[in-house]
Amino acid sequence: MSKMPKKTAKNRSKKPSKQPADGASRRRQVTFLVVFIVLLAGSFSVLSLHWVNDHVVEPFTAGVAWMSGIVLDLLGQDVVRTGTVIRGSHFAVNIENGCNGVETMLIFLAAVVAFPATWRWRLAGLGLGVVAIQVVNLIRVVALFLTGVYLPDLFDTSHTVIWQTLVILSGVALWIVWANRSTQSSGARTEAEA
Amino acid sequence: MSRRAHAPDFGLHLVRNTALWALPVCLVWLLLTPVYNRFLIEAGENLLHIIESPNVTRLVPDDDHYALITRIDFPPSRQVVSSFRLSDLHFHVILLVGLFLGTPRTPWRKRLGDLGLALVIAAFFHLILIVFWVQFTYATQLGDWSVEAYGPLARNFWGLGKHVLDLPVKLAFPLLLWTAFYIDRLLPPEPAGDGAA
Repeated sequence: MSKMPKKTAKNRSKKPSKQPADGASRRRQVTFLVVFIVLLAGSFSVLSLHWVNDHVVEPFTAGVAWMSGIVLDLLGQDVVRTGTVIRGSHFAVNIENGCNGVETMLIFLAAVVAFPATWRWRLAGLGLGVVAIQVVNLIRVVALFLTGVYLPDLFDTSHTVIWQTLVILSGVALWIVWANRSTQSSGARTEAEA
Repeated sequence: MSRRAHAPDFGLHLVRNTALWALPVCLVWLLLTPVYNRFLIEAGENLLHIIESPNVTRLVPDDDHYALITRIDFPPSRQVVSSFRLSDLHFHVILLVGLFLGTPRTPWRKRLGDLGLALVIAAFFHLILIVFWVQFTYATQLGDWSVEAYGPLARNFWGLGKHVLDLPVKLAFPLLLWTAFYIDRLLPPEPAGDGAA
């Protein structure tokens, strides 16, 4: 009983100084989420336009197929590439939307742009992130083709569960590491300025 | 919290923990998938019946991973109109659970509580995605019947809705939910004077 008034007094003295900070913090969280969602929705709406699909996404996907074909040739698969299709003597894959890494790149882009960082950091993150995501996606396409050739029973599970998860995980992991580094960098800068 | 959370290794620990959780979570997901798919079929069909009249859609399980979309008002030879892979709708749960369980410096009670809430939100999302899949099939995939039964606005609504939910939202879902709960761990410290504003 005797401790109660003390606690109440402590709380009272703390609350006024804490509330504005909490409010500002909550505002920054909500701002990040809103910008992230708006950028996601906007970029994927643009992606769904026929013109963008035909003139940007399809040629890009054909490029992914071309690169994957080169790697498969190096691995002795002797494949033929036609547009977005890679054809071997026993197996063929058609790289469709969802398998070209574009979706993961856009999620990464939206998260990077929505995060409070300098544009220099953002551009560096976008450059490195996009390349890294495409490298992971290239490994996915090659690995899936080889799975289709040598372990066809595992193709479906490998396609949807394992590799989709790994490609998205790579994008999410890159963003987390980038955001953490960006925060440290801005913290160090603030300390140096002070 | 913020000073510890902004330590240099927070991001790396989170990524490492998520990767370590991914395999056991994947195994549990594979075990529970047949049961969860059954739930989605039953609950999804009930949800569809709310927006259709008369109730003509039946979702029929086809092995452990697929659902057949059938309409009982179609001739028997054409009742099965399409199928979709249910497991594709919810494989992102592996990453979602990995991220929530892998968040460093968070009491287990909070991690599990937040994860429980996130999984409930995810289940609602999966059910809504099923509705969009089925309506997208009816509105855009059945040729002349689709054109007769659905107007241009409805076809675009179900088509775009399915596209947006099935690609960006589904793929970004784990990150979106994780940031909704924990983005404050990554945000830079408040600029001086911001709190007084």
